[in-house]
Amino acid sequence: MNAVAEYFRNIADAVTTTIAGMKITLRYWVKEPSITVEYPDRLGPGKTAADVVADRFRGFLRLDLDKCIGCMQCMRACPINCIRITVEKTAEIRMLTRFDVNQAKCMYCGLCVEECPSNALVFSKRFEGACFNMQELCVRHVTGPVPVAKLAAVSTK
Amino acid sequence: MYSAADQIYKNIEPALSGYGVPDMVITLLAYAVPCGAVIGIVSMIAGMLTYLERKISADIQNRVGPNRVGPWGLLQFPVDGVKLLLKEDIIPDAADKKLFKLAPYLVYSSTVLASLVIPFGGSFVVADLNIGLIFIIVVSSLLVVGFLMSGWASNNKWALLGGIRSAAQIISYEIPTALSLLTVVLIAGTFSLQEIVMAQGPWPWQWFLFHNPFTVVAFIIFFISGLAEMNRTPFDFPEAESELVSGYNVEYSGMRFALFFAAEFSSIFITAALAAAVFLGGGNIGRDPYASGLGWQLVMVAVFFAKAAPLCLLTIWVRWTLPRLRIDQMMAMCWKYFVPISFACLVLTAAWMLLFDGNGIFWRMAKL
Repeated sequence: MNAVAEYFRNIADAVTTTIAGMKITLRYWVKEPSITVEYPDRLGPGKTAADVVADRFRGFLRLDLDKCIGCMQCMRACPINCIRITVEKTAEIRMLTRFDVNQAKCMYCGLCVEECPSNALVFSKRFEGACFNMQELCVRHVTGPVPVAKLAAVSTK
Repeated sequence: MYSAADQIYKNIEPALSGYGVPDMVITLLAYAVPCGAVIGIVSMIAGMLTYLERKISADIQNRVGPNRVGPWGLLQFPVDGVKLLLKEDIIPDAADKKLFKLAPYLVYSSTVLASLVIPFGGSFVVADLNIGLIFIIVVSSLLVVGFLMSGWASNNKWALLGGIRSAAQIISYEIPTALSLLTVVLIAGTFSLQEIVMAQGPWPWQWFLFHNPFTVVAFIIFFISGLAEMNRTPFDFPEAESELVSGYNVEYSGMRFALFFAAEFSSIFITAALAAAVFLGGGNIGRDPYASGLGWQLVMVAVFFAKAAPLCLLTIWVRWTLPRLRIDQMMAMCWKYFVPISFACLVLTAAWMLLFDGNGIFWRMAKL
């Protein structure tokens, strides 16, 4: 008798569990909206690609020339030497003549950002780096000589 | 009964025989037109089902699904077809080349053959065979030959395992499918699908689904074993992506691969259409399909598709709900549950027919 009861219980189990599962999928099918971000085309009204990435996203490096004191700490911190800085001293004024970041080489480890004493070098949220020539990824932050900022004048942290 | 081919024959015979065209050519022509139309329609439906499958699975999994080609990605399936046509056709060196090339066509032709006797409503049926149901059961077994052939000819362990599994599965589930269809044959007293449709009525209580309690069970068993016969999840053992890589079609590429999938998706529609015709009254709207005009016949076609489409959606819905069974569970389900229950349905329906003079549960109520 037990076996017969089990037989019918199995059938009842199969039916009820199937219906339970199908109810869940039906709810997702009909009600739940998709959580996919349709990245290039439909980001939502007024949104750009930078808005959809997370906080503290590690995108291209951004340099704030008003804050950079030309200490070259970032260049030394970089493990793969993708930052190149030249500082020249003319008439007692230190001038920043080159600040290149090779984003093609950069591995976004963030050591340079951590090292920067004046918060001049930060991660931006820009990540769309597709280009036809790898040289285009070498970002020149300084085009002409720029006087460096004084550390005292820059509020740190 | 006569079919679309007969009507075409009647219309073109007087004109063509005047030119001395032999009768055999006219007959072939009369059959070629609806056959071609049915192949086209079923392939189109199969294509749309691939789109629906992707869209519904995306909805269920909180994704978006195809949305790049055409509005809402509607043109995805023709684009996929073109892509598969342009792909390189690779035949493995160690494969049995003749069988390897033949197998996809066998699989596809078995589903197309089954669609020949499906009554699409009105007089739209290619050939209204008086053994229609038996014909469908027979040609759907042809699928096994194709699967085994592809599995063997690929000369690949996974493919062979998939082929053998499909043979075991489809042959087992043939029995409950046939038995549950037989309950309807008991009631209708005919194998002809068009006559089965005409024996039912437009209203739900006139359908064979609600003839007696056992036909409801037979319908459920038919639907589930239909899932197994067309290798859909939860019974997709022959392809079982996660254990057999892709089963019998692992070595196929390009259009040969596409033919397997066209066959799979066509058989979803054919199983749904068969269930709609046999259990849900097909395109019956209470009018004689042969006496009414073209307008009414098109209404019948619409009714038929309105019944078949939800069953197709149900098939897809089940696929994205249930995980694959274990292979011994699948066999146990067939032999320990479906076969005895469908036999019981058959015998009890026969008893019901004797007891209540062939009346259904609602027919009886209407009489009282």
